[in-house]
Amino acid sequence: MNQTLVSYLSQYEFYDVLLGIFGKNEGLLAFVIYLLFAGAIVGLCATIGGLGTYAERKISADIQQRIGPNRVGPYGILQFLADGVKMITKEDVMPNTADKFLFYLAPMLALIGVFATLAVLPWSNGFMMADLNVGIFYLIAISSLVGVSVFLGGYASNSKWSMLGGMRGASQIISYEIPVTISILSITLLAGGMGFGTILSQQQGTPIHWYIFHNPFAFIAFFVYFIGALAETNRAPFDLPEAESELVSGYHTEYTGMRFGFFALAEYIEVFVVCGVGAALFLGGGNLPFNVQIDIIPLQLFQVVIFMTKALILYYVVIWIRWTFPRLRVDQLMSICWKYLTPIAIFNLVGNAVWIVVFNGKSIADLVFGGH
Amino acid sequence: MFAQLLFLLSAVLTVGCAIAVAVTKNIMHSCIFLLGSLIGIAGLYATLGADFVAVTQIMVYVGGIVILMLFAVMLTGGKDFVSRAQNLLGLAPSMGNKWTYGIGLFVGLVFLLTNVKLLSNIMKSYPVKTFGNEFPSTVSQIGHLLVKEHVLAFELSSVLLLGALVGAAIIARPRKQ
Repeated sequence: MNQTLVSYLSQYEFYDVLLGIFGKNEGLLAFVIYLLFAGAIVGLCATIGGLGTYAERKISADIQQRIGPNRVGPYGILQFLADGVKMITKEDVMPNTADKFLFYLAPMLALIGVFATLAVLPWSNGFMMADLNVGIFYLIAISSLVGVSVFLGGYASNSKWSMLGGMRGASQIISYEIPVTISILSITLLAGGMGFGTILSQQQGTPIHWYIFHNPFAFIAFFVYFIGALAETNRAPFDLPEAESELVSGYHTEYTGMRFGFFALAEYIEVFVVCGVGAALFLGGGNLPFNVQIDIIPLQLFQVVIFMTKALILYYVVIWIRWTFPRLRVDQLMSICWKYLTPIAIFNLVGNAVWIVVFNGKSIADLVFGGH
Repeated sequence: MFAQLLFLLSAVLTVGCAIAVAVTKNIMHSCIFLLGSLIGIAGLYATLGADFVAVTQIMVYVGGIVILMLFAVMLTGGKDFVSRAQNLLGLAPSMGNKWTYGIGLFVGLVFLLTNVKLLSNIMKSYPVKTFGNEFPSTVSQIGHLLVKEHVLAFELSSVLLLGALVGAAIIARPRKQ
């Protein structure tokens, strides 16, 4: 059934001690643990999002042979804090004709949608807020709030740039959900479950046991997932909703100060989330590369480090792609989704199913080296 | 206790947003309140332990239906469709006067009470079908039911949806000269 962080921690001795402190009130203790952990994760992810803006500028500077931010702190690493202070102290401007209610709601919906996905993100096989048995499905579902927020942000600003950006954003996010979901579905087939715990436990730490190398179809599915995820998070070369050369800056043209900051933060955290999901589904997640029978907290933290490393490598690739490829046209965007990615994804799904039947669910590594 | 708290939150969200859908005059705001109401219903499913249904609710309605509604509203005029008709207590966009509301309320109450009276006996005697613990989760239980007992309905509905898809494509296709 659904495993949670609390049910994981309850196997340790210190849980009983804590339970004693809270006067045997398990509900209260669970609430406090969730609260602390949620605070920690949101803080961590906000930092990752902030550092993402720094990494973006620094890597783009490297690619364009510039220096990039280098004034605030060593190597300019505190630049994102300076930006945050700037955004908070800026005037909060709203266009006269904007739809006030929706204008205020849109950035919050973006943040809610992204932060809600963090609940199932598998930091390690123990440190998950909730290992729902519909985990990945939940993640896909709740992240569609971001699509609504992009659309609303564009609509509520009552400006033509915003409107065009919002419409492009919504149609792009809806379209690319299909290849991404079908790619994820083929991994669900292989793992025999939608929970992140199930998916992780079916893989091992060594690369040959990752799902990306499970069979040729899963290998292709990873790239379909990654391309689709780029488009879903509005990253270049699919950043048409905020194409600055034609739409000023798309759906958040009219937003200033921290409301713009919310959109930017949501985007950077969402990139981290999709990279993390890619790492968990295809790259073995936080699985240790060696076999250990014991389960202690330091090993779990080591798993978190492995997971973060994989996710951040993917994050680097996302930024690298952004500063390397030119932006697509709208018709190219749609034809890539509907004429190429979706048929390939469906082909992968069928191929995976056939592979499971023919080879009895064994991976290439199992077939070559002999295995379970 | 937290389950009850969650139930209360979901229920308040559902009912509150549903009332707001009917009361607000701006049709875009109506759509957004509908979104809140549907999320509240997902919360109700979740408190009942039906996690798959809850997530499907969010997936289908938030990710699909509401965005489609927003598109449709925006393409057909958006907020210019503010209702200007006279309305009850100056609140709800009107579809009638006090007589229609009164008669509607009366008929609704009669209908509700009759149904409750008729159905309560059946509900009481209806055996609750319980499944053993042979399934590890609701997802696998739904999967087994879908491809074993209800496979015909499942396949037929997929054919129906395919037909709808093809029909929409044919209607939307530009005509050849």
